[in-house]
Parts: sequence; structure tokens; C-alpha cells
Amino acid sequence: MEKAEWQIGELRLRADLVWALAMSSLKVRMGRAFITGLTIATTTAFMMYLLTMPYADPNAPFHDGVAGMMGLRTDRDAGEVQGFLLMFVMALLVAAAGVLNTMLMNVSQRYREIGTIKCLGGLDRLILFSVLVEAALLGLVGAGLGVIIGLAISLLLSVADYGGAFWSHVGFGGLPLKVIFVLLIGMGLTTLGAAIPAQIAAKMPPIEAMRGEK
Amino acid sequence: MSERNPLLSGRPLRSPDARLDATAAVDSGHPDARAEQLVKGGVDWFADLDRQVDQTVMTSNVSKHYRMGEQIIKALDDVTVNIAAGEYISIMGPSGSGKTTLFNCIGGLTKPTSGNVFIDEIDVAQLDANELAWLRCRKIGYIFQSYNIIKVMTALENVTLPMLFAGLPGDEAQDRGVEILGRVGLGDRLLHTPKELSGGQQQRVAIARAFANRPAIILADEPTANLDLKTGEEIIMLMKEMNREQGVTVICSTHDHKMLAQSDRIIWMEDGRIKRIADRDEVKITVSQMSDHQ
Repeated sequence: MEKAEWQIGELRLRADLVWALAMSSLKVRMGRAFITGLTIATTTAFMMYLLTMPYADPNAPFHDGVAGMMGLRTDRDAGEVQGFLLMFVMALLVAAAGVLNTMLMNVSQRYREIGTIKCLGGLDRLILFSVLVEAALLGLVGAGLGVIIGLAISLLLSVADYGGAFWSHVGFGGLPLKVIFVLLIGMGLTTLGAAIPAQIAAKMPPIEAMRGEK
Repeated sequence: MSERNPLLSGRPLRSPDARLDATAAVDSGHPDARAEQLVKGGVDWFADLDRQVDQTVMTSNVSKHYRMGEQIIKALDDVTVNIAAGEYISIMGPSGSGKTTLFNCIGGLTKPTSGNVFIDEIDVAQLDANELAWLRCRKIGYIFQSYNIIKVMTALENVTLPMLFAGLPGDEAQDRGVEILGRVGLGDRLLHTPKELSGGQQQRVAIARAFANRPAIILADEPTANLDLKTGEEIIMLMKEMNREQGVTVICSTHDHKMLAQSDRIIWMEDGRIKRIADRDEVKITVSQMSDHQ
């Protein structure tokens, strides 16, 4: 393909614009962001609770590997470990369905705006990245909230069951890893949920995006 | 595409900034002289192509077909038109005549099924996504029937956005945004959101936004259709003033014959084809002849 001697310029992706668009979008759609954040918070809270539940067992030592990270005693029988894993996977699927759906709605309601931005010379990547940054922030805040809630519930239940004796047995060594794990899941789900519609919208010819089709 | 448009061979290629120089030259002399010179000869632009050095938009045999079930709808059927730099063109035609489709093809908002669109000698079909974004950002300003102001942003933010896309630093974009909003009569509405603005004011924001990057071409698709007559006329006058001051090519579609007075040439469309192209003066004659017969 010969591209003649045209004097056509190139637009560069500006990180400050990506950030500004993401922030303004979050700020303006605060109510929606709050609801999305709550969805993420509740589902991640359940996951965090599952992960830290074995704290309630005063004799539970912590082990390495997946089961260890789940806070399971590896000397328990395999069936019990599988049960926990299954429950965790179920929680993950429920979270994924809820968050993906919310993010899908969130982005597809903005096709018109995205089309307009494209008409003004917004790059595909600018649209994609700003939506992703927004989603990741939302996921981080929501999952952060979920971690706090989930941990609080499992600690409260443990204290209620075992009283003060619980504190002398509990080990917090595995906790940072669990917190990071849940935060990553929250961010991953929101980002993935936003990535698909954002990619479609960013690639769409602007006029179709403005009509809000697809 | 290795094949270059034969109409373009041997013509000097211009940098985007050359247009500004040309504009300045016109501004210093008679603002209308250049437009008049370009309009002369009107319809018959095939006759002396060499004269049309400054044409901005050229479509050659552009067609756009949509499939609707078994049927193929020809939204645009073999449209060839040349538009000179600095011209103010009105496109008339009933709804469904292909006006909007022609706009979208010219503006790089949709791809024609066949044929080529050239903007400043650049074949739009050959541009990649980034170059298209550049074209939309720097070369073309869009004005829509339904304003399409970004709802979640203030008037000033809407106007600065394309300048930021173009790479202008924030404070410069802001200064120019304030200046240009003042120019369209919204100096006291900078921080209002679309909700707080009337339709006419929103369309003014859209005009300011379209002119923000000093584009070569303004594409206005029925900009007055949602406005009352007086506001509509104000919007048209504003576009005409910008056209005169900055030498921007304006292509504007409308239903309303009253809006034609400002245009240099008028293109009538019907069933996806160009039915007629005429100079403004010719149209006046036609109208008076018609009234004689009555």
C-alpha cells in the first residue's frame, strides 16, 4: 500500500487525558459507580470471608500452596479441601456474572458519548484505556471495601464462637497474600467486564457508536 | 492502493498549515473575492479542472449500499462532487435522500461501499485508525442535528476536548476555549452543562467545539432542524461568519429554503443521487421565475 506524500499527522495517546477522562466519568456517574462498587464489594466480601473462615478454627495451622492460601489444614481430608475450593469457585462465578453484567451495562450506555469523542479525534486507545482505568479503580475500591467487610465478618464470627481464646491461636501470616488475591480478583473482573464492550465501542465507526447500535 | 487519482496528478501537495497561510492571504484582501472566483463556473467543474487548485473535498463515484433483508438500499448512488476550499455549500433534499450518508462518508465516519473520498488530496479510505482520528481532530469539525454535546462535561470542557486530543497543553486549550466560546456568544456560560443550556446554546457550543482546532472543513448535518427559525438563522449566520473570517469550507445540509441565502452553492439530492448543483445567484433567478409564473 503506497501512502503517497501526504502531510497527515499522528495523534499521541496522552496519559493525563486517559486519567482525566476516567476520573470525570467516575465523578459524574457517581451513583452508578457506587452501585457497581457495592456489587463488587459484596461478592469480594464473600470470597474474603471464605478465605479467612478457617481462622475460626483455633488449631488451624497455615500451609503453603493453594490449600494453604485458602487457610485450609492440609491434614484434613481431600474432600473437605475440595468442598472449600468448590464454594470459592462458585463465589467467583457469581461475582463474575454480576460484575460483568454491571460493567457491560455501564459501558454500553455510553456508546453515544464514545462516538462523539471519536468524532472529535479521540483515539481508540484513549477510549479503551480510559474505560479500563475507570473500571480498575472501581474494582480496587470495591474489592478493598469487600476485603474489609469479609475480614470483619469472619473475625467477628470467630470471636463470637471462641471468645478471647481465639486471638492467641490465630496467625495472620497468610493474610497479605489473601488480601492481594481478592483485590486482584475484584480489579480483574471489573476490567475484564469493561474491556469487551469498550473494545467493541472503541473500534466501531463513530457514526454507529453514536446511534448506540450493537 | 497503488493507483492515484488521475485528477490529482502533478498537483502540489500541501501541508496542513499551508491552508492557514492561504486563509490569511484571503483575509487581507477581499473576503469574498476568493469564494466568488471559486464559485464561478459552478456546476461545470469538470470543464476546467486546473482552475480548481484549492479544492478541499472531492468524492468520486461514492456509493453506499445497505442490505435490508433481501433488498439492497442505495443510500448513496454514484455521487461525484468537488467542493472548493472556503466554499459554503448547502445540501438540500428530503429525508432519506442520502444527505447524512454523504456527510458521514466525507467526514470519515463511515466507509463507502465503493468510490473514494478525498480530503485535501488524501484518500480517506487509505487512512488507518490513528490517521482517521487525526483527520477528525484537525481537519474536520462536525456539527450534528442533535448537538451531541457530551452531557457530563461543561461547555468549556466540551470545547477544550478536541484541542487536548490535538496535543495542546491544558492551559492553552482553556484560554482558546474561553476565547472561542466568547466568540459564539457564550462567554457567560462557560461552566454550564448541557442540561443548563437551551438548544440554541448547545448548538453554539457544538459550533465552538467544531471550530476549536481551526479545521479546514465544517460538516454540519441539519444543524438547525431542532431549533426555532430565529435561533436557526442565528446559527447559520454564525457559521457563515466563521466561514468568512477563517476561510473554512462549510458543508451544511438543511430542509429549509430560508437557510440557503448564505450559501455559495447549493446541491440538491434525491434518492442517493445528486439531482442538481447550482450557484446561489442561479437559484434566485429560478425562484423569481417561478413567482412570475404564478
